[in-house]
Amino acid sequence: MLQQFLALTIVLYFVIRLFVQKSKDKISFSEFIFWFIFWMFVSSSVVFIKKIDSLAVYFGFSASGINILSYLALAILFYLFFRIRIRLAEMERNISIINKELTIKNYKKII
Amino acid sequence: MSIPKKKIFCVIPAWNEEANIVKTLEDVILFTDEIIVVDDGSTDDTLVLVNNFAKKTNTKNKKVIALSHIINRGQGAALATGNELALSLGADIIFHFDADGQFLSTDISKVLEPLLFDEFDVVLGSRFLGLESEMPFSKKNIIMPIARLFMNFFFNAHLTDPQSGFRALNRGAWEKIDIEQDGMAHCSEIIIKVLKNNLRVKEVPIKVLYSEYGLGASGGFKIVKDLFLRKIS
Repeated sequence: MLQQFLALTIVLYFVIRLFVQKSKDKISFSEFIFWFIFWMFVSSSVVFIKKIDSLAVYFGFSASGINILSYLALAILFYLFFRIRIRLAEMERNISIINKELTIKNYKKII
Repeated sequence: MSIPKKKIFCVIPAWNEEANIVKTLEDVILFTDEIIVVDDGSTDDTLVLVNNFAKKTNTKNKKVIALSHIINRGQGAALATGNELALSLGADIIFHFDADGQFLSTDISKVLEPLLFDEFDVVLGSRFLGLESEMPFSKKNIIMPIARLFMNFFFNAHLTDPQSGFRALNRGAWEKIDIEQDGMAHCSEIIIKVLKNNLRVKEVPIKVLYSEYGLGASGGFKIVKDLFLRKIS
């Protein structure tokens, strides 16, 4: 019970931060929705941890609900890391294109 | 047989090459009429030296152009910039040459000749076709064979030198090849795109003098990672 309370307090902290960032326009609407759904999913998992236990048994997992959640969290982290790497590669590519166009434009301005 | 007149550009990417750039330009200008040096955000006097050289050398028939990246983006990015300008200035043939003095300018005519007679679209300089390059032992016997195997297995590229930076392509070929890899992976990228476009390729022997090790095993892994990320992004 105490563990659930602590987990929900942490989730609440991140949800408040999310709303503050949105109110300051620091994140886009789609990003806000994505993280909001993510934290709602986390808080539901914490509240209904017993249900996840029985769900884990139902699907034939030998681990408990909290373990399943840990595996899921790890998988999500890997996925997010992967997405960031791809996005970073795209950004790097765009910087190079801007750099190239700027360089040639500057040269043509001089001659 | 007389050599057909073609507009040939040399693109030299340079990053902090103040020690070698003037000597490289003096050597290369003997073999080509137009050189584009792309200073890739150097923090030393590379750009100043190139500009000074251009002021002394530029005539009606000989021209050295100095381009300057405001930030360092890597050798592939510098070559892409040089290529784009060369194509916009009407280049018929563009060849790439390193600024660090490791390539021999005497090999330039060997690389250009098959293109001048329109026998091939792409000529790649190879360090493994007989001429003895002073390549470090581990690079020659471990890293390069692995790179060859990788290119062979994944891209069906049966070439002797998968990482050569000394290459010449005609206009038609360059128009089909957009260099998207900013770093050293551009060498593999160009080969992959050359094969994909069914261009006529020839390898010619070149000699390389090694003043430093260059690409190591970690660089090899970075190339594979860059190619993979580009493929999926």
